[in-house]
Parts: sequence; structure tokens; C-alpha cells
Amino acid sequence: MSVSMTSKPHPSSAAVIGLLRDYGAILGMIAVLSIFWYLKPAFLTTGNIENVFRQSAIVMIMALGLTVVMKMRGVDLSIAQTADAAGLIAAMLIIAGYPVWMAFAIPLLFGLVVGLVNAVLMAYIGVPAIIGTLGMMFVIRSGELMATNGAEPQILFTLPRGVTRNFLWLGQRDFGPIAALIVLAIAVFLISFVVMRYTRFARYAKAVGSNVRAAFLAGIDIRMTFGLGFVIAGVLAALAGVALVSRTGIAMPRGAEPFLLDSFAAAYLGTLASRRGEMSIPGTLMGALFIGFLGNGLTLLGLGAPYRYALNGGFILLAMAIGALKRRN
Amino acid sequence: MTSTIAVARPEVRLATPVLECRNIGKEFPGVVALSGVSLTIRSGEIHAFLGQNGAGKSTLVKILTGVYRADHGDVLVDGEPLRFRDPRDAEANAIAIVHQDQPLVAQLDVTRNVFLGREITRTGGVLDLSTMRARTADALRQVGATFDADTLVAELSVAQRELAAIAAALVRKPRILILDEPTASLSDNEAELLFGIVRSLRDAGVTIIYISHYLDEVLDLVDRVTVLRDGKLVATMDVGETSRAGIVQMMVGRDIEQLYPKETIAIGEPLLEVRGLAQGNMLRGVDLDVRRGEIFGIAGLMGAGRTELALSLIGALPRSAGSVMLRGEPSSPASPRAAKREGFALIPEDRRHEGLVTDMTVRENLTLPELSRFSRFGIIGFRSERATATSLVERLRIQPPNLSQLTRNLSGGNQQKIVIGRWLAGDAEVFLFDEPTTGVDVGSKVEIYKQMIELARRGAAVIFISSDFEEIAGMSDRIAVMHKGRINKLFQPGEATPETLLYWASGSADEVMPNADADASPADDAATQMPSATAIASGAEMAASQSFWARWGTIGGMVVVLTLIAILAPQFLSLNNIFDVLKQGSVLAFIALGLTVVLIAGGFDMSAGAVSQFTTNLAAGTMIAGMGSAAAIGLGALIGLLAGAINAALVLVFGMPAFVATLGAMFVAMGATLLYNGGQALTLSNQPSFFFIGQGYIGPVPFVLILLLLATAILHFVLKHTRLGLRMYAVGQNLVAAELRGVGRARYATASFMIGGLVLGLAGVILASYAYGASALATGIDFLISALAAAFLGSTFNRAGELNVVGTLIAALFLASLSNGLILIGISSQALPGIQGIVLILSIALGVIHKRGIGQVLIF
Repeated sequence: MSVSMTSKPHPSSAAVIGLLRDYGAILGMIAVLSIFWYLKPAFLTTGNIENVFRQSAIVMIMALGLTVVMKMRGVDLSIAQTADAAGLIAAMLIIAGYPVWMAFAIPLLFGLVVGLVNAVLMAYIGVPAIIGTLGMMFVIRSGELMATNGAEPQILFTLPRGVTRNFLWLGQRDFGPIAALIVLAIAVFLISFVVMRYTRFARYAKAVGSNVRAAFLAGIDIRMTFGLGFVIAGVLAALAGVALVSRTGIAMPRGAEPFLLDSFAAAYLGTLASRRGEMSIPGTLMGALFIGFLGNGLTLLGLGAPYRYALNGGFILLAMAIGALKRRN
Repeated sequence: MTSTIAVARPEVRLATPVLECRNIGKEFPGVVALSGVSLTIRSGEIHAFLGQNGAGKSTLVKILTGVYRADHGDVLVDGEPLRFRDPRDAEANAIAIVHQDQPLVAQLDVTRNVFLGREITRTGGVLDLSTMRARTADALRQVGATFDADTLVAELSVAQRELAAIAAALVRKPRILILDEPTASLSDNEAELLFGIVRSLRDAGVTIIYISHYLDEVLDLVDRVTVLRDGKLVATMDVGETSRAGIVQMMVGRDIEQLYPKETIAIGEPLLEVRGLAQGNMLRGVDLDVRRGEIFGIAGLMGAGRTELALSLIGALPRSAGSVMLRGEPSSPASPRAAKREGFALIPEDRRHEGLVTDMTVRENLTLPELSRFSRFGIIGFRSERATATSLVERLRIQPPNLSQLTRNLSGGNQQKIVIGRWLAGDAEVFLFDEPTTGVDVGSKVEIYKQMIELARRGAAVIFISSDFEEIAGMSDRIAVMHKGRINKLFQPGEATPETLLYWASGSADEVMPNADADASPADDAATQMPSATAIASGAEMAASQSFWARWGTIGGMVVVLTLIAILAPQFLSLNNIFDVLKQGSVLAFIALGLTVVLIAGGFDMSAGAVSQFTTNLAAGTMIAGMGSAAAIGLGALIGLLAGAINAALVLVFGMPAFVATLGAMFVAMGATLLYNGGQALTLSNQPSFFFIGQGYIGPVPFVLILLLLATAILHFVLKHTRLGLRMYAVGQNLVAAELRGVGRARYATASFMIGGLVLGLAGVILASYAYGASALATGIDFLISALAAAFLGSTFNRAGELNVVGTLIAALFLASLSNGLILIGISSQALPGIQGIVLILSIALGVIHKRGIGQVLIF
């Protein structure tokens, strides 16, 4: 029975190809970053790395929510706008003199509400997620424009330190030896990882994503499961938005919009980490870090936004092409 | 066994074989579908293919029509060996088929469906609709249809669709016509009419291959029959040579083997009582009682309503009438989840699509419905889950006994054991096995039977649905035979044989006379269970009122909105303002037109706005460089075409989902834009001839509006009146139907992307002219949402709800007037995006709310 092994001509070269297929993309990412390091040694200094980690933290938090939705074959185009509005709410509350805890709690509540509305639209009414969340994105944008009288920035860093210190702690200070923002990112990552691996929701989400009809007939509440994904995405997006404002000290209406595309890039690049080209929580972490280092490296080289856009797009296409090849095998 | 019982009677006319199969073989992974099938079809005969489900009839037909290719053997037409590569090769040899499930494009009218793949065109691929309509009308008259050629297929009943499908075969002027289960959805009168058509076709010299489960009609209609069993040919013989009983014998074949581990189990009290259960047209009033410890067989052929019975019991299909009692209490679960709590367990018919989640492992599948048993506070207890899964794997002998194996890679038998096994951990009491043994090896079958007995012994009620009459006879206690949505025969334990079951399942319900020459006829005293009369709400009426609202509701709403604005702000209706609005709206409308064309066959396009913005910048740059308007327009068109070609290549060559491919392309286009303009606005001045495109007037009419109307007219003509457009719609709306007509996706999706890209590229140039250059803001995604809103809103005007350029045009201009009007009545311009977003969501929600789906993005 097992003599069929001999029919394969070069098992070792097949193994090499297999390894390349599985890990080639990751090697490719390391190679890209090595080039940056070679051109700009400052790229890999501790200071710069910590800086990149902080930048990536916000994209990662947002992209994790997106990943949860996309694993169920949904999509959430409203996350960046949700983050934007959440940050704005936080800044306006601080400026208006509300206590710091409210500047954290109310934006998160806002994210929850956005997520719930999305859940009703997509999971219970059945609006296709691309359309529904795109519509939501524009509704939130209108709200922001009206609240800020046409996109006036809400500036925190000119306020007295005493007013803003506690709020800005999350984005600018350290928690023990590590930046608080990085601690937050690690915590969010670990919680997401545990939730998407050890809970019933994760199992149901996987079933909904791969065969919603079978999940329905097996007696799973597919609407609740699908809707919960949008709630998670909404809350995480709001958290990311608050963290962003806490880091920069300024809430620019529409300032978080580029993070939508970065989150997509992170989630799709994350598929490279999986053998079967699937999205995963660790994969998205990896994707977010790569996007962060890429942007930072390009900036160090004096190459700005155009290159970031173009390379992000190129990497998404590359990741999908490699994924298609993996599945074909 | 391939022996052909040759019938060499002298009076048989010496007809020439028009079609011959020699030693045909076909294998699928793990299954031999056909082996060594040799037969000849004589010119001008009606020849029936008979056999049980899985006998190989469909595979054989698919080989004859070029859908599959045979692994072995030859197909000869007029003595010439031929190799069909796709359905069009068969069609070129005048072989036409009417498929069982009538794959038609619902959103197109009958004429276009009939001629899809074989359109009559004038020069330049322009459809000759009047000729096609006339011929379609002829063909419809020939089949006795009462609807006309302009009716949308979506508005036809199932029986009318069958007639349309037959008409489609007739206009192809076939020499050989294959009818696959043509009467399954027809009433008796309609079927009689069909037989008349079939006979007159034969008299006109057409050779007909006829596939049916209904033996009565076959015996009346056909000249010769070929019986297949287990992928092999049993016999070909003249219909006069045989009898119904003889054919049944050949179809079933062997005696009941010792395969069935049936045991006698004490039958307990009634657990499930069903009275007058009806579901649409498929289930027309079913009464049955199932007791504890009983294996209740439901025998029926495809389309008999068996699956609908199971699905409406567990709340997966809405009931139209009837009541169900479970343990003496009323049971009407709203969903399979509620049914699960009541104690129902379904093993669905289609294991791969409805049962398993093939991307999950053995363990994950085995515990899926009962997962809450292993979890606390939502966290799964892996140890107890694994222990349960391990014991189920052992109990069902699942091979390989590896819990982390993906179920995708398991054999059919093991997959089915998993679908069954996952209900064993719970405490379900009513088990619905719907065709549990199709495509399952013998060893697994026995295992599945043993589990059914085990469940019955535990006191559960087992409902065993199957069209394999041997296993039904071998395993069940009482057996109900279903036919056309009713139970037309109930057998007490031990009464039924495979032959009697097939006899009742294939006969018509109102048949009174048992066949005299058949010793397999059922006992006379067997009482037939009469179905209860049920009032079935007419589904067609409901659909009609829904489509009325979907179509006129939005237009009415738009008129109301615009009227309100005109009342609140009278200047809204001044001529100047109207032309102003039309000018503003025109640029957006161009982008929306391009997007609409891509959406029709290409799937999706996230890059639409970004591509337009890129060409806006290129056009502005070209003008600044002093190269003139022609260069700007030419470059815009070229880049648009190129972007379309790239998107098409990503989708078709790399097999990427359209959403992702165009998302990537959107990034790239945005990056390219920023690279090109360096983040600066490219402002034009003093280019009167170029500005004329976007800002000029002819008389009082804005030039851009004239351009827009012209572009819409051209696109409308291409999409609705040319072969290209017809095929683009067909590919986008029902790819399976299109492919069966030999219309492939690659060419028409590419056309869709490229024509759309061309329009988007030109839209960018017009924007550059309208806005006196290019702004520095990245507005690609803003354009995208407005264009999407226009395209989807526009699709609701159409009676079929399909995307169309005229609707898009109207919707885009409406959105522009809405923005203008809202500003006139004093609403902040900051609120406009939100209002657009709400319009977008509402226009979609109107169309989807009755479908009861969830908003998954199926195009990933």
C-alpha cells in the first residue's frame, strides 16, 4: 500500500516547495523589512520599534474586529468612521470638562450602539454587509460634520495638562516598563485570541462563515452569531478611536479614515500566516505589524502616502494570489 | 453486466442508429457512475432511460450533451465518433436537452432565455428581437403555452418554466431532443399536452430520449426503453416486450439481501402526530403518526415533497397549513434551533451543503448542535468535548479515527456518520433521516442502519426518508409512500416490497386500477391515507404584490420627496435650478453608469471611484502639460480600459473574489493618484474648449447632460439589444444557466469590467473639466458610495429588479436633486452624506427584507 511513496520523484524538493508555500510569504515580509534596515539602520532601533508598535496598536485593534466579521463572510466598512467619531466624542467630552472615565465609557457605548444597528441591518434584516456598513459609514460621517461644525479639529494638547493628563496617559505614558498603548494592544489581542479559539461563539462563527445553511439546520442561531460580529467590530473600533486621540492629543474629523484601508490590508496580509489562506487573529496581528513597519520604513526613506497606498494594495493582491495558489494545491 | 437483450422482431422497422454509445464509462472520485454502457438510439423513436436514483441516467445524459466527458468509450452520431467538449458542441450536432430543474435566467424575458447562446443577430451583434420574438411565440404556441414571449421568467410558474425550457429546445431545431423528468412539475393536463407535443415531434422526425420516474406515462409514450442500474446497462427493449412489473423488477434488480439488520422493537405510544401539513405547492396535506421505537419509512421520488415535509417539521420552511403534535402538545418551531430544543434532529438530504461544515474538523462537526452541553459561560470545555467526540467516533466507526481531520477530505460514508453522530450526544427524540445513504459505501450503510435501530430502541421515533426502495422496505416498520406532495399509500409492517413501493411512488395519485398483469400490484385492501384538503395561499399573488411595492414604491417615494421639496422651496423648480442640478448630477451619474456596467457581469468594483479620480488627475495633468483635450480624453479612456482589464485578470486568472481584487486595485489607484499629483490640487485655467465638456451649454441645456444622455442611450442599447449585453446579464445573474447554454464567464465578465472601466475613465475626464482640474482630496470612496447608491436605487425601478443603466441614470439625478433640494430648504450640506447613506440602505432593505437571509457577502 505504502510503496506509492516511491512514485514521488524528489520528496526533499517537494518539501522545500511546501515550506516555501507555507512560509515564503513571511520570509518575503522579513526580506522587505531587511531592505529598510539596510537602507536606514535607524529602522531597527529600540525607539523606532516601540514607535511602530504604538502606531500598529491602533490598526491592530480595529483590524481584529474586522477579522471577526470577515471570518463570517461579512465585512464592516464603517469601522474607521466609528473610530473617528468615538475619538471625537472622547475629545469633546474632555474639552467640555466631563470626567475622564466618561471620555472612555461613552465612546465605547457609541461603538456598541453602532455595532448593534449594524447587527440589526445585516443579520436580522439581511442588508448585504458591503452596502449596509457603507451606508452606516456615511451616516456617522454626517453626524461628525454636524457635531464639529464642518470638521473643526478638537484639540486637547493645548488644554492645561491637569485636565488632559489622565486621558492622554493611555496613549502617551508607560504602564510599568512598557507603553500603556502597547499593553492595551496586547490585552486586546489576547482576549480576541481566547475568544476566537475557546468560545462557543467562535465555533458558531466558523460554521456561519463556512456553511451558513448547515449551521442553520444544525440549530445554531445564525443571526445572533453574525450580528455579534458587528457588535465586536463596533466596540473595538471605538476603542481604537479613543486610543488614537489619546496618543495624538487631537481629534481630526475624518482623521481615522485611512485606518480602514490599513485594517483591510492587515487582515488580508494575515491570511499569509495560515496554511489554507484563512484569516486569523494571530495573522491579523502579524499583518498589522507589517503594515506598521512598512509605513514607518517608507516614511524614513522619505516616501509618503502614495507609496503606502500602492504597496498596501499590491500586498493585498499578492496575499490573495498566494492564497488562491495554496488552496488550489 | 452489459448484456443487451436484442429484440429482433421482423416487423420492427430497420431504423438507422442516429446515436450510439459504445462502452461508455465515467468515474467520479470514489464512485463509478457508469461502466460499459453500450446502446443505440434509432432515428425517429422515443427512447426512455429508466433507473432508480443513482443508476447513472443523469451522468449518461450529461455525457451525451457535452456537460461531462466520458472516461472511456465513444459516442457516435450518425456513425461518426464525436468528442463533445462543451454543450455547444452537442448543440452543433442538433442535440438539445431540457434539463430537469429548468435553469433559466429569471430576470430575463422568455424570448431572451429561449435564444440565449444561440441568438439571432443582425450585423454587429445586434439582436434581431422581432424575429426571435416571433419564433419564440411560435415555439410557445407549439407547446401550448398561454403566456407570451415578453413575460419575465421570474413571473412564470414552475410548470410554465418547463414549457419555456421546452420551447428553448425546440427553437434549436434538434434532431435529438432529450427530456429529463419533464413532467415532474406539471399537472396531469399539462403533462397530457406535453405528450402530444412529444408525439408530434417524433412524427416530424425528431428522435427523443425521455427520462422519467413515472412509469405509467413512459409505457404509454415511448417506443423503446433502456434500464440502467448501478451505472450499468440492464437491458434495452421494445416497450411492447415488457410490462410495468417487468421494468420495476429490472430497476430494482436483486432480492433484499441480508444487508438490513432489522430488529423487532416494541412500539410505544405515539410521539409525533401530523395533520394536514402543507408547504407551498410541494406538500399538499400530509397526515401521519409516528410512535416511539418505530422506524417510519417515507418512500418517494425526487420532488414528491419528502424533504419539504422534513424541513417544515423543524421550522426551516414556513408551513402553509396543518398542525403537528409532539408528545401530545402542539409543536410549531420557528426555526431549527427551536425544533432542536423540542427534540427534533434532522440529517439533511444534501450532506455536503446542508449537513457538514466541511471546513471544520471531525470533532467540531460532531459537537456542533449540542455544543452548549460542553460549555460553561460560553467557554468550551475541550476535555469533555473531546471525550464525547472520541466516543462517537468509536461508536460509529468513523475512519480514520482522527478528531482533528478536516471533514472535507473524508469519504461520503464517514461524512454521513458524522452528520448522524452529532445528534446522538443530545436528547433528541424525533430523528428525520433524509436520504441518509446516498453516495455511501455498503459498510457505512450498515452502520447507519444500526444507529437507526439503536435510536428506536432508546424510544425515539425515527422517520426514514429514502428513494432507495430496497432499504426502505428492508428497514422500516410502517411505510408511507409520497407522490406529488401527498401520501398515496400506507403499508403496514412487512407488507411492502421494493417493487410495490416503486409502483406506488411512480404512479399517479388518482390511479384506481392496479395493473392487471403485475403480480407486484399492491393488496387491494390496503387503505390509502387520504390527504386532508388544505387551502394553500397563492404564493404567486403574494410575490406579485411584493414586486409591485418594490417597483413602484421607490418611484412613488421619490416623487413625494421631490414634491415636498418643491413646496418648501419653490425655487427648486425654476428652470435655471433644474439645469443646474442636472449638470451637477451628471458627473456622478457617469461614474454610476460605469459602476453599473461592471456590476452587471463582473461582480463588484470597489475601485470605481478611485479609478475615476485617477483619470481626473491625469486629464488635468495632460491639459496643464498643454497636450490638448484629445490627449486628455484618449488617456482617460485608455487608463479606464486598462484598469478594467487588470481587475478582470485578477478576478478571472487568479480566481480572486471581485471585492478583494478591486479593493487592492482601489489602493493602487489611490497611490498612483497621489504619486502623480504629489498631494497638490491640479487647477486648470483658461482652457475654454476643455471646460466646455463639463461646463458648456447648448442653448439652455448643459452639454454634459447631453453627453450623459447619449452615453446612457448607447449603453442601454449595448446591454439590452446586443448579444454581448444579453450574455453579460446572463453570466451575472445565473452563471449555471449561462454555462449550460455554452456561454462562459471569462469573456463576458472581462467585457463588463472593460466597458465599465472605459466609462469610469471618461467620467474622470469629464470631472476634470467640470471641476476645473483635480482636487487634492482623496474622494474615491465618496464617489463609490454615491455611485453604489445610484446603481442599487436604480435597480428597484426595473420590474425584474436588475441593474440597468436607465435606472441608474434616474437614480443618480434624483440623488443630485435631493442634495440640491435639501440645501435649498436649509438643511446643512453636512447632512447630505448621511442622507445618501440612508437612501442606500433603504433602497436595498426594501428588496431583501422578505428573503429572510443574512447579509453575508457571497462574492468573497
